[in-house]
Amino acid sequence: MSENADSMQTRHFLLRRLHSLTGIVPIGVFLIVHLTTNSTIAWGGLNTRAQSEGFGWMDRAIATFQHEVSFINNMPLLLLIEVTLWSAIGFHSILGVYYAISGKGNTGAYKYSSNFRYALQRITGYFGIFFIFYHVATLRWGWTWLVPGGTQWSHEAASSTFAAAIQGSTDGFTAVGFLVACFYFLGVSALVFHFANGLWTAAITWGITISRPAQKRWGVICAGLGAGLMLMAWASVIGFATLDYEQASAVEKTMHGEQIHLNTDEPTEAVTLTESKEIDG
Amino acid sequence: MSEAEAYAYDAEMRKANRAKAVAGRSVIFKIKRCDGPNKPSRWESFKVPIEEGANVISSLNWIAANPVTVDGKKTTPVVWESSCLEEVCGACTMLINGRVRQSCSCLINEYAPREGDVMTLEPMSKFPVIRDLWVDRARLFHNLTRIKAWVPIDGTYNMGPGPKESHDHQQMRYALSECMSCGCCLDACPQFTKQEDESKWDSSFIGAHAISQARYFNEHDTGKQLKADRMDALSGAGGINDCGNAQNCVKVCPKGIPLTESIGAIGRSATIHAIKQFFQGKK
Amino acid sequence: MADEKRADEKRVIVVGGGLAGLAATIRIAEAGMPVDLFSMVPVKRSHSVCAQGGINACNEVARQQGYSEYQHFDETLIGGDFLNDQHPVLEMTNWAPKIIDLLDRMGVPFNRSNEGFRDLRLFGGSLFKRTHFSGATTGQQLLYALDEQTRRFAAEGKVNKKEFWEFLWPIVEGAGENARCVGIVAQDMRTMQIQSFRADAVVMATGGCGLVFGKSTNSVICTGGAASRCYQAGAWYGNAEMIQVHPTAIPGADKCRLMSESARGEGGRVWVPAKKGDTRKPRDIPENERYYILEERYPKYGNLVPRDIATREIFDVCVNEGMGINGTNQVYLDLTHMDPDYLTEKLGGILDIYEKFVGDDPRFTPMRIFPAVHYSMGGLWTTYTPGEYQPDSPISGFKPGDPIPVGNEPGMGMEVGAHNNAMTNITGLYAFGEVNFAYHGATRLGANALLSCIFDGLCNGVSVVNFVREGGHQPVFELDQAVFDAATKQEQDKHDKLLDSTSSGTGDRKLNPYQIAFELGEEMNAASTVVKTGPRLEKCLSKLDELKERYSKVELGDGAMWTNQSLSFTRAVGDMIIIGEAIAKAGLLREESRGSHYRTDFPERNDDKFWKASVAKFNKDSGKSDIEFVDVKAGLVKLRPRDYGKTESNAAPAQKEPVGAS
Repeated sequence: MSENADSMQTRHFLLRRLHSLTGIVPIGVFLIVHLTTNSTIAWGGLNTRAQSEGFGWMDRAIATFQHEVSFINNMPLLLLIEVTLWSAIGFHSILGVYYAISGKGNTGAYKYSSNFRYALQRITGYFGIFFIFYHVATLRWGWTWLVPGGTQWSHEAASSTFAAAIQGSTDGFTAVGFLVACFYFLGVSALVFHFANGLWTAAITWGITISRPAQKRWGVICAGLGAGLMLMAWASVIGFATLDYEQASAVEKTMHGEQIHLNTDEPTEAVTLTESKEIDG
Repeated sequence: MSEAEAYAYDAEMRKANRAKAVAGRSVIFKIKRCDGPNKPSRWESFKVPIEEGANVISSLNWIAANPVTVDGKKTTPVVWESSCLEEVCGACTMLINGRVRQSCSCLINEYAPREGDVMTLEPMSKFPVIRDLWVDRARLFHNLTRIKAWVPIDGTYNMGPGPKESHDHQQMRYALSECMSCGCCLDACPQFTKQEDESKWDSSFIGAHAISQARYFNEHDTGKQLKADRMDALSGAGGINDCGNAQNCVKVCPKGIPLTESIGAIGRSATIHAIKQFFQGKK
Repeated sequence: MADEKRADEKRVIVVGGGLAGLAATIRIAEAGMPVDLFSMVPVKRSHSVCAQGGINACNEVARQQGYSEYQHFDETLIGGDFLNDQHPVLEMTNWAPKIIDLLDRMGVPFNRSNEGFRDLRLFGGSLFKRTHFSGATTGQQLLYALDEQTRRFAAEGKVNKKEFWEFLWPIVEGAGENARCVGIVAQDMRTMQIQSFRADAVVMATGGCGLVFGKSTNSVICTGGAASRCYQAGAWYGNAEMIQVHPTAIPGADKCRLMSESARGEGGRVWVPAKKGDTRKPRDIPENERYYILEERYPKYGNLVPRDIATREIFDVCVNEGMGINGTNQVYLDLTHMDPDYLTEKLGGILDIYEKFVGDDPRFTPMRIFPAVHYSMGGLWTTYTPGEYQPDSPISGFKPGDPIPVGNEPGMGMEVGAHNNAMTNITGLYAFGEVNFAYHGATRLGANALLSCIFDGLCNGVSVVNFVREGGHQPVFELDQAVFDAATKQEQDKHDKLLDSTSSGTGDRKLNPYQIAFELGEEMNAASTVVKTGPRLEKCLSKLDELKERYSKVELGDGAMWTNQSLSFTRAVGDMIIIGEAIAKAGLLREESRGSHYRTDFPERNDDKFWKASVAKFNKDSGKSDIEFVDVKAGLVKLRPRDYGKTESNAAPAQKEPVGAS
């Protein structure tokens, strides 16, 4: 074997296995953390440590979520974490698409569950890329022209601005907003499936599960994990889609005040806050 | 539908068909024909009287002796590959009603139980057509050379018995040894695609067939001397990593070979091989 | 690689990629001689894959029970009713254990005992366990092992595999005793290109001729066409009439599928309802209302009598006594009294085949079977050089425990490497495997076929190499091209004539090649298989004349110049008629019963007149066979009756059952 071919072999193996690995670490791990954080909008009411004076269930949830977001935004080297994550996602996506287009689905002829999962893994991959791009572009990079109502998300008013972004306005669903909410619903579902199924196939790829019973057992575990994540994902989307903007904004302002109090720096007022003030006015 | 259910569904459907098969009926065979490489293909239909125990081979034999289409047009006998007719040689593999299988074991009673039922026959989809239902599966055999599918014995002189082997290990190896290189696992695999350019065979996905054979030889005491070579071939482009885990292979395998287990096992070998290479490899 | 052939290199052509052909290829390539391997199918799809039961060889366990290579030899001769050439058989059985060792080293997954040794099973014609096996697909496993080694040699450039090439004609230079085979004409079955190939020796390993009998257990490629072409080119054909009919086959619409003898070996029982016309389901028929045919007629061997006897008794019960299941020509082969898991492990492969092709599970429903043509003991006549063992007088009546008269080292039976071993009457043309008539006499013992095929390749492959290297013949690459061109032209003309018949057709059904082949099969099956009579064979011969006449005007249904399968088949039909004629004529002239050849008008073995091999020589003028009877090459073992202890006859005193041979 020539040296060139040899290095090709090594590179091929490395790329393939890195593709598999990045899907789990960091992307999969981040997905779990992210969904856990976001789903606090549904279960954060349990958090009695959140500012409780005069707060109801939803108020506590909003506060918990805001607390989590603020925590993340105050992490050191946040940019490094973000860049790592983005490049992992980029790497996983580009290679994933390249690999996926090399195959040719045949669920029409072979209607086996595993074959549907194979097809779905690729479909959810394509859709997931699209969704993540939209998600990051609109919320993180501020491409508000893609957001109905033009709401810009702010980490300082995390719940309210996000709710407005996926509802299409600050006072409930608009038609386009409803579509965005549905898009979110599908997007998170796709990603959760992609992750859980990817975790199952990765065990075969790496040679962790060999026997059929082992593959089956691991399949049950992955399905369980997937179901749990799916619940969190749906709870997050439904939670924000049904969130009352006014209520969220009110809670955030309360917390915001506290934060200003703690921080000596001048608070940077987000556009949305100004807007919402105007609406308030 | 789970694997087991899919099996049961298929088997039960076929069994039910067998029970309701009408004696003395005729069945329409819709056959995809092609006169040679790079020639257009066309469909021709034949009405074939079904005798007891008829299968696709006996029906094709009938057509060969009576090559007239349902429209009364005289045509040529259909060309297909066959040999043992006992489902141990792998030759007569084709697509029957869109799915790959051997035609010798395909009982008409199980697929077309009523008068006028239609069965479609097509050549395998992942290999170039030679003529009609006959395809060129040279790539499949080439893949066996790619993974050095042999035990490197010193020679054929008398040198005593081979390595001793436990009963269970033999049973495991026997299950793999039954592979007849028919190509069903490849035709049903979404990752294994048609590749007519011979120069690209070595970098195109090798498929469950050769992966499982690599495991078969790696599991033999003398055969494993070539394990590193096999794992080199399977770690590269078109190797084990191209598997997409659709697992159709194991479901269409007529011999019930545990192909997905072989894929897992070779995946593990590849992982270990890579680690070994990293820490110990000379290159 | 064909094109890179060095013009000054001696080469060998092997025709046929079954066990014999591959074993020969490996052996010859290993000796450093380039081999061109021709096969009509990818070699991995050769008919050898169909062999199920196993491969016989003396082994340590049997040896300690009193068995020996010599007894294996003796059994093979009794099985063959003493029509075998004795020296090659001795050499073969002496090599057998070493062949098993070699296959073991090649990685064949032979079944293993609990301790990890090779497991053994009982097979017809022996009271000792001497059959090695790999599940129920032994032939497949052995073929694959040889295929793998061949692939290795091909990867190293020592073997040039030409798959999908059909052998058309041996190129013979000179005539009579000086005839020498210098190459072959072959056709690419895809492009239809006809081409000559030079070779210093040609090994025919082309198997049997089951398709002559229409539906048989053989693969569709087993037309006997290649052997017939050599026969027409002047090679002699020996013991043509000796056709083995397998007692247990599954009747089917396209072919008869083998139900291995191992089903009986593992405890299968053959029975019919004791009451004629009993229409009850088999499970509803109580034990005492079943007629266990073989157990009652042959209490000692029971269901394990040799194939010809089992066949005839099943045939007798159905055809003569009309006791077949529901009046059909079928009997039960019953395994339902055995543990299903045990059956799955030991016989899984063949039981699956039955279930797949019939739709019943033999673990729970008795199988329905009937005899079908299975193996051709006859084949191209070959010669050999006897080995060192030359007793003063032949040994008579060998029994287990008797002193073994000869050692088991190579060279006792045949002189290993002698140039003429397994060579036909045409110098340089060899016949290996089923197409070699030497080993099995009048009937073949179960699990001896795989052995004879591999033995031929391994042992006599050496002869081929020696012949080419030391034979002192002019190297074929020096010969004038004219000889080769003439042969190519002869085949091209035949081919073109067949193609022409497409356009000039009358549409007469009687001239349809498939119809002619069908009638040939029906006639040969009816007249020349289990039970033969003089008048019926004469009728058969005149039917063959009629078919030959019709064939001379045959009309091809496909005029394609590309991958014309009909043409290939039609060409073979003509050759099949010629072999069929040799089979029927030899059967007619052999006025005795011996082994698988059973004449109701001559029910006894007649050693005075017919302890002889029939040798058919093709008469080019009449287009028919001239049959001669020549003495069997014996001298090692004395003739004795072959009765397997049937109750009605005056059987030899029962042998002591071997101890511990459970």
